[in-house]
Amino acid sequence: MPRDMQAEDVDSATDEALLARYAAGDPAAARALTLRLVPRAQGYAARLLGDGAEAEDIVQEAMLRLWRAAPGWRSGEAQVATWLYRVVTNLCTDRIRARRRRPTAALDEAPEVADGAGGAEAGLIEADRMAALQAALDALPERQRQAVVLRHIEGFGNPEIAEVMDIGVEAVESLTARGKRALAAILAGRRGELGYDDAE
Amino acid sequence: MTMRNEADDGLEGLFAEARTLRAQPSEALMARVLADALAEQPRPAAPVVAPPAMRAGLWSRAVSLFGGAGALAGMGTAALAGLLIGYVQPAGLVLLGDAVLGAPLETVELIPSVETLFAGE
Repeated sequence: MPRDMQAEDVDSATDEALLARYAAGDPAAARALTLRLVPRAQGYAARLLGDGAEAEDIVQEAMLRLWRAAPGWRSGEAQVATWLYRVVTNLCTDRIRARRRRPTAALDEAPEVADGAGGAEAGLIEADRMAALQAALDALPERQRQAVVLRHIEGFGNPEIAEVMDIGVEAVESLTARGKRALAAILAGRRGELGYDDAE
Repeated sequence: MTMRNEADDGLEGLFAEARTLRAQPSEALMARVLADALAEQPRPAAPVVAPPAMRAGLWSRAVSLFGGAGALAGMGTAALAGLLIGYVQPAGLVLLGDAVLGAPLETVELIPSVETLFAGE
């Protein structure tokens, strides 16, 4: 019977160590990983989908896959967080594609930036700064949105983003740069409302 | 350049604000994830219990009675050798018997007859 982790062990343990404890049958590790990973995954999924309820479904599914992967987890092969973000990214991509296949999604077939830019402007009427940012993110092409959110909000480095998105580092740099330029363009006319000066 | 820098600064400000506003998952989601975790969690390996010792059989009890398998094997070998010698009657053994007893020995009475026992009375 494995020894249950003490509170200080949980705080200092790496994600990988906690996952190993989980696989060994320690329920404290399950709680610790849930508390540690779910808020991050939820925030990321909500940024990609622009919908908190859908994000919850995605996170539950991604975490379920993590629990099932735990017994066969090979030490040092992947970071737990990177692995989880990758699963969330793929699940969000599937969800967005499923949305597009719905009959009501015909308008989404137009170029995303153009549609989203209009959506962002409309959303600014009553939206706060974060809602404006989300609307602008929603307007980005999917891969640019993923790269920008991972780099600038989730705080990953380019090599980690490359792993999450399953692309090369150069492609990450390109997506991030283009995504950031597109965001700036979408929000260009709203700098005053967003709280930064546009009086140059 | 100035416009670009201000736009970048503005975006950085928004990103920084977004980083500080971590999502707060609902209690229902946390409960569902934890329930999944516990349902999927491998059970701890049960402590290894040695199988109960086999009950000592008749043979093993007999072996231990005679002081172990080695001693029993020695006794068996001696008994077999005695039987063989008695059946074959090697020539050397017959000569030795003649020399000791002074006459050929055909039969040996291991149990004297009752008449012999009462002869002295």
